[in-house]
Amino acid sequence: MAYKPQYGPGTSKVAENRRKQMNPSQKLEKMRDVTDEDIVLILGHRAPGAAYPTAHPPLAEQQEPDCPIRKIVTPTDGAKAGDRVRYIQFADSMFFAPCHPYQRTYTECYRFRGIDPGTLSGRQIVECRERDLEKYSKELVETELLDAARTGIRGATVHGHSLRLAENGMMFDMLQRSVLGEDGIVRYVKNQIGEPLDRAVAIGKPLDEKWLKAHTTIFHSLGGTPYRDDAEYIEYVQRIHSLRTKYGFMPKE
Amino acid sequence: MAKIERTQKLFLQALKEKFQGQDVQSETAEYYKFNGYHQSPRKEEFVKASRAVEMDRGISMYNPVRCHLGGIPLGQRQLMTYEVSGTGVFVEGDDLHFVNNSAMQQMWDDIRRTVIVNMDLAHQTLQKRLGKEVTPETINEYLHVLNHAMPGAAVVQEHMVETHPGLVDDCYVKVFTGDQELADDLEPQFVLDVEKLFPAKQAEALSAAVGKSLWQAIHIPTTVSRTCDGGTTSRWSAMQIGMSFIAAYRMCAGEAAVADLSYAAKHAGVIQMASHLPARRARGPNEPGGIMFGVFSDIIQANRKYPNDPAKASLEVVGAGTMLFDQIWLGSYMSGGVGFTQYATAAYTDNILDEFTYYGMDYAKDKYKVDWKNPSPGDKVKPTQEIVNDLATEVTLNAMEQYEQYPTMMEDHFGGSQRAGVIAAASGLTTSITTGNSNAGLNAWYLSMLLHKDGWSRLGFFGYDLQDQCGSANSLSMVSDRGLMGELRGPNYPNYAMNVGHQGEYAAIVGSSHYGRGDAFCYSPLVKVCFADPSLKFDFAEPRREFAKGAIREFMPAGERSLIIPAR
Repeated sequence: MAYKPQYGPGTSKVAENRRKQMNPSQKLEKMRDVTDEDIVLILGHRAPGAAYPTAHPPLAEQQEPDCPIRKIVTPTDGAKAGDRVRYIQFADSMFFAPCHPYQRTYTECYRFRGIDPGTLSGRQIVECRERDLEKYSKELVETELLDAARTGIRGATVHGHSLRLAENGMMFDMLQRSVLGEDGIVRYVKNQIGEPLDRAVAIGKPLDEKWLKAHTTIFHSLGGTPYRDDAEYIEYVQRIHSLRTKYGFMPKE
Repeated sequence: MAKIERTQKLFLQALKEKFQGQDVQSETAEYYKFNGYHQSPRKEEFVKASRAVEMDRGISMYNPVRCHLGGIPLGQRQLMTYEVSGTGVFVEGDDLHFVNNSAMQQMWDDIRRTVIVNMDLAHQTLQKRLGKEVTPETINEYLHVLNHAMPGAAVVQEHMVETHPGLVDDCYVKVFTGDQELADDLEPQFVLDVEKLFPAKQAEALSAAVGKSLWQAIHIPTTVSRTCDGGTTSRWSAMQIGMSFIAAYRMCAGEAAVADLSYAAKHAGVIQMASHLPARRARGPNEPGGIMFGVFSDIIQANRKYPNDPAKASLEVVGAGTMLFDQIWLGSYMSGGVGFTQYATAAYTDNILDEFTYYGMDYAKDKYKVDWKNPSPGDKVKPTQEIVNDLATEVTLNAMEQYEQYPTMMEDHFGGSQRAGVIAAASGLTTSITTGNSNAGLNAWYLSMLLHKDGWSRLGFFGYDLQDQCGSANSLSMVSDRGLMGELRGPNYPNYAMNVGHQGEYAAIVGSSHYGRGDAFCYSPLVKVCFADPSLKFDFAEPRREFAKGAIREFMPAGERSLIIPAR
């Protein structure tokens, strides 16, 4: 029987949103246009137009060992070209940001290939070959996974995910990499590790509160979906825990 | 699970003090206008002190403007003070780093410089092998000699160097026994009187457990254990014990019987506070990584002072444990730097963990009729998986909801590791106190972690992925290599040496299972009695209060050096 992913339990809107983001057969809604060059600027790994630095020669030019796995797995474009591995890292506000660290990791694992995600409380990093990264980053930035005000692209000094929002609705960022203009547009004035950009990169307007609460993937009892109300979700976690506990006894059955 | 009403909110006072003039339930705040580090008097003091140091030594030092993130100093948000939980004392966060807090240093000094040594073995050698008479009078004389010798004075040989008493005034030896008749015959200055130090029920249990044996509670000089290490403690003490027996009982200094006394003092009769660690961690005995959680819960004495409040007793263990295991052990022995302090202090500041834990107490009383204010084994609930799940789930959900409803509290515990440790600790403490079973408490901890992770789609640092997600499976099994009683676990237990915000709480979960039952001790009656000593520099019944005193610079530690350095 072929494995059929369930994308997690739960009867609530939050659970449904989580499943939608994870499920690669569901198209993520595009919310904004950001050019390829602008993505490269925010990432800060190479200058726009510069060649991709490489970690090894293209696979076609080097002797590959006789390896059955290599025959099964098709390399990504970045791996084929020998790109170095670089990253994008996000901070997601607990005030109803659309995506959150573990959710990001699960979503990326279902949707992208050749990635190495890392999941913490205040940030989530994904690393992969550079040209793959730029392609994935575009999707992560342009779609409903990002809100211009409550999602931050932050390589270092990520502090902010759990803080109250600033009075203009922006998540706190000590380095103020992105700023909300008087025209209501959020612009990155520094790249993800805080180096000033030669020109600002616009990523559009913040999404409105109603949209965020309808699409968020975090349970929240203050104005959102209380975790307690999704009994199926709670029962699922309890069941996982109980089974793991039982497995500690190495049952024979 | 079903939410219960609790209106007290122990954290409110702290939040109102920290965020003065602000609505603590507001979701927005002002930022970027606080003038950086200048808002903190302590950091201003650091800058001033650093300038003086630089002028003196000619090497640059503390410079938050130039060196923090290329010119953006700390303090773009409000830098908060912290209330040390249960004390009402507000302190600067910086003053809770152990380098800046003499009470924290002394707590660890007092543990590391302590060994407990049995006297019965030595007395048998004296009586049976040497035919010496051992009486309360000879024991008193021996203790006079030992209290002369232990700090570093000569008792047998001529023309010896000795230590300055003013530098080693924290060093002494007392004795204790379960034989009250013998205790009454010894000079009170030397006796840890179990009947006087403990509530009657605890004293009775401790006396029965110690029995007629006589034990020495030895504290070598702080300066010695600092200059050397924890492994020195038993060696220093054994040398002085051997010499004192020779002097007090007029033995031949070289006779073979001395070897028996030495062996008893160095090996056979010694209780170390911590076992030595394997080579990859490379520490001797009496270093933090080897302290079993059961022993640590006995070192902390809050259940002696507050026998009817097992929650408070446990919270004191959390405070002491996170300080020692997170800030000193993981934060400095194993890692280095300052980050661990920020995580650890979350568990003993602003009464947040206190509130979550007392919610658990109210829930246990409401649902399971556990009279937690009158600890006894009689009303403990059988720790079935269903009940553990129920307790952990309710306490976790309540805690998450409190963070959600008080955004300033979320901002206070701005890191997921802080919140995860605190929420899981409240779940574990509640379950331990309710069931009287430490492993049930640990199991509750791990369910809390899983619930937390799924609810907010985040947990703590990377390592939480391993430690807290494999924990369910190792928390109840007792099969070798698959689990262990909580009392016998310690900071070096597999997978426990990874993350801040765990070990102190684990220790408290272990202790709370006994405090909830009204037990006199968790693992060792000897350790319990030893640290009940009012002469110790650090008061182990009130660790959080002591830390607060250290933070406001009112704690007087040992380790004096001004006698031997130039006057300033």
